[in-house]
This record gives sequence, C-alpha cells and structure tokens, in this order.
Amino acid sequence: MAAGARDRQFLDPAVVARLGTLELKARTVVEGLISGLHRSPFKGFSVEFAEYRQYIHGDDLSTIDWKVYARSDRHFIKKFEEETNLHCQLIVDVSGSMSYGSRGISKFEYAACLAASLGYLMNRQRDAVGMTAFSDHIVDALPSSTRPGHLRNLLIALDRLHVGSRTDVAKPLHQIADAMTRRGMVVLISDLLDDPGAVIRGLKHFQYRGSDVLVFHVLDPDEIEFPFDRATRFEDLETGDELVAVPGAVRDHYLKQMGGLIDRYRRELGAAGIDYQLLNTSEPLEMALLAYLSTRSRTA
Amino acid sequence: MSFLSPLFLVAAVAAGVPILLHLLKRHTEQRVRFAAVALLKGAPVEHTARRRLRELLLLALRAGALVLLALAFARPFFRAASATSAHLTVVAVDTSLSMSAPASAARAHQLGADAVRQAPAGDDVAVVAFADRADVIVRPTPDRNAAASAIETATPGFGSTTYAAGLAAAGELFGGRSGRIVVVTDLQASGWDMGAHAAVPEAVRVDVKDVGAPVENVAVTALRADGDRVAASIHNSGEHVRDVRTRLTVDGRAAGENVVTVGAHGSADAVFADVRSAGIAVATVDDPGGISGDNARYALLGADATAASLVITASGDLDRDAWYVRHAIAGLRGVAAADVAGMRDDALGRYGAVIVLSTRGLERRGREKLAAYANAGGGLLIAAGPDVDGDVVADVLGSGAPLEMKAVTGDAERVAPQNSLSLAPADVRHPIFRSFGSEVASLGFVQFRNVARVGGPSCQAIARFTSGDAAVLDCAAGDGRAIVVASDLNNRWNDFPIRASFVPFLDQAARYLSNSARRGSEYLVGEVPKGLPVVPGVTTVEASGGSRRVVVNVDPKESEFDRMSPADFQASITRLKDVAAKDVRADAAGQESRQHLWQYLLAAMLVALVAEGLVAGRMA
Repeated sequence: MAAGARDRQFLDPAVVARLGTLELKARTVVEGLISGLHRSPFKGFSVEFAEYRQYIHGDDLSTIDWKVYARSDRHFIKKFEEETNLHCQLIVDVSGSMSYGSRGISKFEYAACLAASLGYLMNRQRDAVGMTAFSDHIVDALPSSTRPGHLRNLLIALDRLHVGSRTDVAKPLHQIADAMTRRGMVVLISDLLDDPGAVIRGLKHFQYRGSDVLVFHVLDPDEIEFPFDRATRFEDLETGDELVAVPGAVRDHYLKQMGGLIDRYRRELGAAGIDYQLLNTSEPLEMALLAYLSTRSRTA
Repeated sequence: MSFLSPLFLVAAVAAGVPILLHLLKRHTEQRVRFAAVALLKGAPVEHTARRRLRELLLLALRAGALVLLALAFARPFFRAASATSAHLTVVAVDTSLSMSAPASAARAHQLGADAVRQAPAGDDVAVVAFADRADVIVRPTPDRNAAASAIETATPGFGSTTYAAGLAAAGELFGGRSGRIVVVTDLQASGWDMGAHAAVPEAVRVDVKDVGAPVENVAVTALRADGDRVAASIHNSGEHVRDVRTRLTVDGRAAGENVVTVGAHGSADAVFADVRSAGIAVATVDDPGGISGDNARYALLGADATAASLVITASGDLDRDAWYVRHAIAGLRGVAAADVAGMRDDALGRYGAVIVLSTRGLERRGREKLAAYANAGGGLLIAAGPDVDGDVVADVLGSGAPLEMKAVTGDAERVAPQNSLSLAPADVRHPIFRSFGSEVASLGFVQFRNVARVGGPSCQAIARFTSGDAAVLDCAAGDGRAIVVASDLNNRWNDFPIRASFVPFLDQAARYLSNSARRGSEYLVGEVPKGLPVVPGVTTVEASGGSRRVVVNVDPKESEFDRMSPADFQASITRLKDVAAKDVRADAAGQESRQHLWQYLLAAMLVALVAEGLVAGRMA
C-alpha cells in the first residue's frame, strides 16, 4: 500500500505543515485523498429512509414494512440511514518526545495534522469524532459528536495543543478506556516511546471495552535511521539527560533497539487484533488516512 | 612566599587560555535534542557526568601546568624568618695574626661579647670572623647566647687583615635591613689596601671597637739568601730597644745563632755566613710576650738564584733594539722574535724573566713556547711598544688572561708636551714600587707621548697614567706572571729610559718576575693555593711537573703595628644608596638559590602534563 500511496503524488508533510490553519491542512489532505479515490464504498445506517428490500429469512421482523405487505402481500423490509454509525476517539500524544522533528515537521505537528485530517474525514462521513490529548496525564479532551460545529471545535482544540513534558502512555489510555460509554473506534497517535508492555496493556483495555483500536506509531526519520555521523551530545527531550556518543559506535545498538521496539508493537498488537501503522514523518499523511479507511471498512 | 622575578607571574594569566578554550569549545560535538535517548543508554557511550568530570580534571591539569610554569619562572622562595626582623647587629671580629697576642685575643672576645649583649632589644645578631677572607660563623639569629659563644671560638689565625672582606661579608647579611656593624679590631693600618674601600648599606652604621696594639712584639719579616750568606730581617714593634736572639736552621740542622740589637719600632738584619746553599731555612726569634706566629720565617735556599733575563727583540741585537734595557739590567741575553720558535724546549726555563720588546716574526711555535714558559711559572715583561702586537701577546698569555692592547695616542711628533701623560703607582706596596720608597714620586717625571690601552680580567693595574688608563699591569698567566707596560722601553714613545727611575723600575720588575718564577716555592698564608694548609711552614705541592716543596710564611705586614684612627677607618667605608636594594636582591637570590623551589614546581608541572596526557588519552 505504501508504494501505491507514493504513486499517487501525495503532499509532502513538510509542505502541509507550512499551510495556514489546521482546517486548511486537514481539508487539503482529505480532499486530495478523496479526489484520488472512487466513491466511498462505506454506507452506514441512518434514521432517514434509504431503500426497500425483500425480506429474507433471518431479517428482523420489526423492520418489515407492514403497509407495503398490506398493499402488495409481499414482505419488504425498510432500510434507514442513521445520523452516525461510528464513534471515534482520536488520542493524541503531546509528550515532550513528540517535539522532535528533523525534516521540517515535528512528530507533534505531524500527529496534529493527522488528527485534524482524520477528524475532517470522519466528519465528512458523518462519523462522530472526539479527541483526547495526553502526555503523562490527560491534558485536553473533546467528546465525540457529529454536530455541525464540532469539527471546528475539534480543530481549535488541536490547534491549541502544546507539547508537554514526560510521557506515560499507559495511564491516560486506561483512564480514557474507563471513561468510554459506548463502543466505537480508538485511534492512538503517538511515538510510543514508553514501556511497550504498559502501552499494549492500555490498548488492550480498549479492546476489552469493545472498541476497535488503530495505532499510528509516529516516528521521525532520524529515529528510524539514526543518520548521525559525528560525535554528538544527545539531550533527552523529556528528562534532559545528556550523553555523548559517537554514532558510528552506537548505531547498530540503537537500530537494534528501535527495530525491536517496532517489531514488538507490530507483533503483539497484531496478535491482539489491533491495527498498527508505523508512520514516518517524511511520508505523506494520506498514508495514514488510507490505513484508517482500511480499518474503517472492516469495522463497517 | 616571595618571588625573585615576580613579573613572570603575569604569565600565569595564560592559565586562562585553556579555561577560555574550554568554555568556547566545551560543546565541540554537535548537540541534538533527541527523543529516543533511552534507546542509547545501553550502548557503549560515555555519560555526560563522567565526561564532564574528566573535562574539569583536564582543565585543572592544563591550567595548573601553566600556573606552575609561571610560578617556576617567577622563582619563588620562602623568605627566612630572620630576614623579616627589622634590625640587625653584626659583630665582625678581626682574626688576623696581629690579633693573636694574648691580651688582644681576650680583649677581642670581651668586646665582641659586649657588642652582642648591647645589641638593641629585638635586633637579630650575627657574627663574622675575618682576616684574609671573611667567614660568617653565625648567621642572623635572635639567639644571642649562640652568637656570644661563637665569638669565643673566633680565634686568630695566621692571616693578614683585610677590612674590606669583613665589611663586605657583614654588609651582605643585612639584606635591606638597617642596623650596625661592630668591628672588633686592632685598627692595623695595613688592613686597608691602598685605594681599597668597603661598601656597606646606607642604613647600616659601623662602630669600631679597638682592642689596642700589642705593646711589645718582635718578628722575622724576611729571610733571604745571598750566596752563602743568609740574612733575616728582624722587626721590633715595641717601644724599647731589644737584643733579639735569632737562630737559623737549614733542613732542621742548626746553621747559626745571632743576637742583634733592634731599636724601638725599627728593623735589623741578622746575618748568617757560611750557610749551605740548598735546603729549607728557618729563622726564629725568641719573643715570649709578643705574637708567636711571626717568630719564624721560612725560605727555600737554592731556589732563588736570580737567573739571567732574556730579551726578545725584532733582530735579537740588543745594542740596536734594546740599548737602554741592555744597559739597565746586567747579564741580559737577546734573541730575535723569529728565533724563539727554534729554541730548545727547556731553553726558556733557564731565564728568570723574559722581556718582550717585539713580536715581529714571533711564529705560532714561538708563541707556544712563551705561553708554556709562562704557564710553568715564568715571568714576562712586555712593553707595549710599536713592535708589539696585542693579539700576539694575548695569544701568549692564553685565553685565561685575555689582554687588550691598542695604541690610543698619535705620533710622537704630533703630541705637544702639555698633552703627554705621566704615571703614578696605584699600589705603592707592589714589590716593583716598594723599593722606591719615598722616591716613588720620581716615576711621575716620565713623559709618555704614546701609550697603548691595555687591560684584562686577570690583570691588576699597579700604575696608571694621569688620564686614568692603566700604565702598568700585573697579570696572571698560568702559574707565571706578566708585567705589561703600556708603552715602549726604548725611548721612542716616552722618555722613561733616560729617567733615573728607569733602572730601578726594570731591575725591580726583573726581580719581581724572577721571584715570581720561584713564587711557586714561597707563599704567604693568604695566598696559598687551594688545598694547602694555611699555616706557616713547609709543605709539598703537587704540580704538573711533579711535586715540589714550598714554604708558607705569614704576611710581614701583620708585624707592622701602624695604626689608624677610628675616623680614618670610617673614612674608608663607602655607603652606597643602592647597596641596600642590591643587598635585598642578593639576599633574596641567595635564599632562592638555596631552596630551589622552581625545580619542584617544574617537576610538578611535568607530573601534571603526564597526568593530562593520560586523562586525555582515555577520553580520546
């Protein structure tokens, strides 16, 4: 899918990051994506009448239109469109580590753009979307809704977010999961630089509560490739710890550690039925949207 | 702590260079604020805290090395505690032979101890004993008992009085402090060499404690042989005429006994006839109440036969080249300068003195022979006339006695009589001038039209022209001596040869040089070569040509009790304003050189650099 996505000439995330408002960014991404797709295959249920269909065995008897039966002596069921058919909660990591960026866009900016785009896309599909931001605690929350002005509220909330301090992914996840009152979809956007076991347990908590989970693992290319080549003093964005290292001497160790972390997330989340998508901030945001749409299709 | 060269401390600011570099370059590595630092922590990296500690250690070592270097160059020293005391009293005790009369020695000890006791409260005290040379026997100390005890040990020896040496040693002890020098002496006038002055710090007062002269003393002041006759000069410094019994022994065997009558403050010769011509002669007198050290005199018989002198001229013809010299001294031989090289190796050694009137044609081999003659103890009389090349003379005298010789006046015809120069002895006690006695002034009648500028570090000017330039030099040349006259001796540059003083001058010069040729066999106590006992008697000297016997006598001037007044003594002392400052620096330099702290600092700097290298190596 990645190769196919690149073939579509998506926008460079750095270019998107330079666009004015978050709404503009989201619209640019989503419209660009939609214009390159066929008509959306996703139909939901609505309270508005959609069509009649002949009753087949197993259909709910309450959906039979008895008036039509009276006139035609045939059993038809009546299909309706619902106001919304999905409640989605975007969970955005705003910890200090998300402020790292090497290619003109930080992980936080990438995550905010992605959340806005997802919100825009969901709103367009009349799904209810909400947002929760966290670092080592929940710093902001916006319940899911499909009200006309909700998208704007969502975008404003995203726009006001700032990078926080330390990361504790698991604790906010459990808090959010406990607070959820209905099933739906949870989208986590984070660099997941935390204890993998705790993170995975937190995500499984959502599954336990009956929600589908989609994880966007956002990493900077530097974090994936470790391209440093001269003696470097690394300062931890969250703790301030410093260490001096010669990259040539530590690269193998780092790449092994990072590869192990990604593999563990991919393996254990996949085993748990949680969609996991590694996002490189140098790659187009549309890649993430396609991943969402893929997950959404299964949900529908 | 004090510093001898404190300006070098300014260089310590260089220690700021590594600090500055450290501050400027401490983040030479790129700095990256990174998210996944936790993933690096298991890697072989150096943690910042440890690295910072090493960086600080390196910084301290580098800065410390520079500071140590600056400190070493500043030459630090710990100033002696005594040097910080404001005032000092130095007791300088005369320990010359003349002080060895029983009454004088006891009086000197008493006066010295009194001076220590009477030193102002709070003053440090020091003790110096002096004769030919001075010894600091107690350095500045507040311990007065130690000083008083040391004075008791300052017993007179056989040396001659040299006030300048004692005052110089005492003055050096002050190191910028004020105070006084108490000189305990018999005020012997001969203790001041002619023209000698002692310089003491301006803030130092000199007091004289007179022990008085011995009332009665008889001494043997000379012992000389003339054929088979030996004469001993007896000097009576007492107030009464005395009949002095004099005995002579040669190689320990009695050679005669004589009684001479010597007047008050007078001298007489005791002559002994039919004395064997070789051996060690000792003349003694009985003088139980006087100074015992001058009651005997030693002489080496057979070694003082005055040999003929050799005159080196341009042609070797004395009638033509050295007519005046030839007629002034009997028994001269002449040789051309060019022929010196061809002389047998031992030929020069037979001459008591060699008179150099020309160096024309004196080849290298000839110079070498003359130099060897001088080194072996020979005497050279060099007349810096028109035929003498200064470079050749300097070559002969050797590198140890470089001689500058340059003509400074014009042609004789062009020098007006009123511009001519005269000479005056600078040291009438020199053997050449001593025999002139009161007639020494006759040398001033000589008119010098042309002179050469002569001088050298191992030469002493014994006569000077009225211009102040040296006229006659007495130079050391190996074991021998050279008398250098800064003009010619052939009536060309001066009228010396036609003056009455010419013959005695040449005769005394030849005798002096001949004696210097045998001077290797007779020394005064104050002149004995290093390693020989400084007591009168007979001893053996190891020389390059084998061992030889020598005799050592006391200086006869110690038996002359001409005294000076305390005022005259004070008049011979010069007080220089800068002496104090020089003394401060000399004292500081002395303390610094004794402590050698700079060596330890340099060693510490090297250790710091080695440690820096090790730490830097580990960091690399």
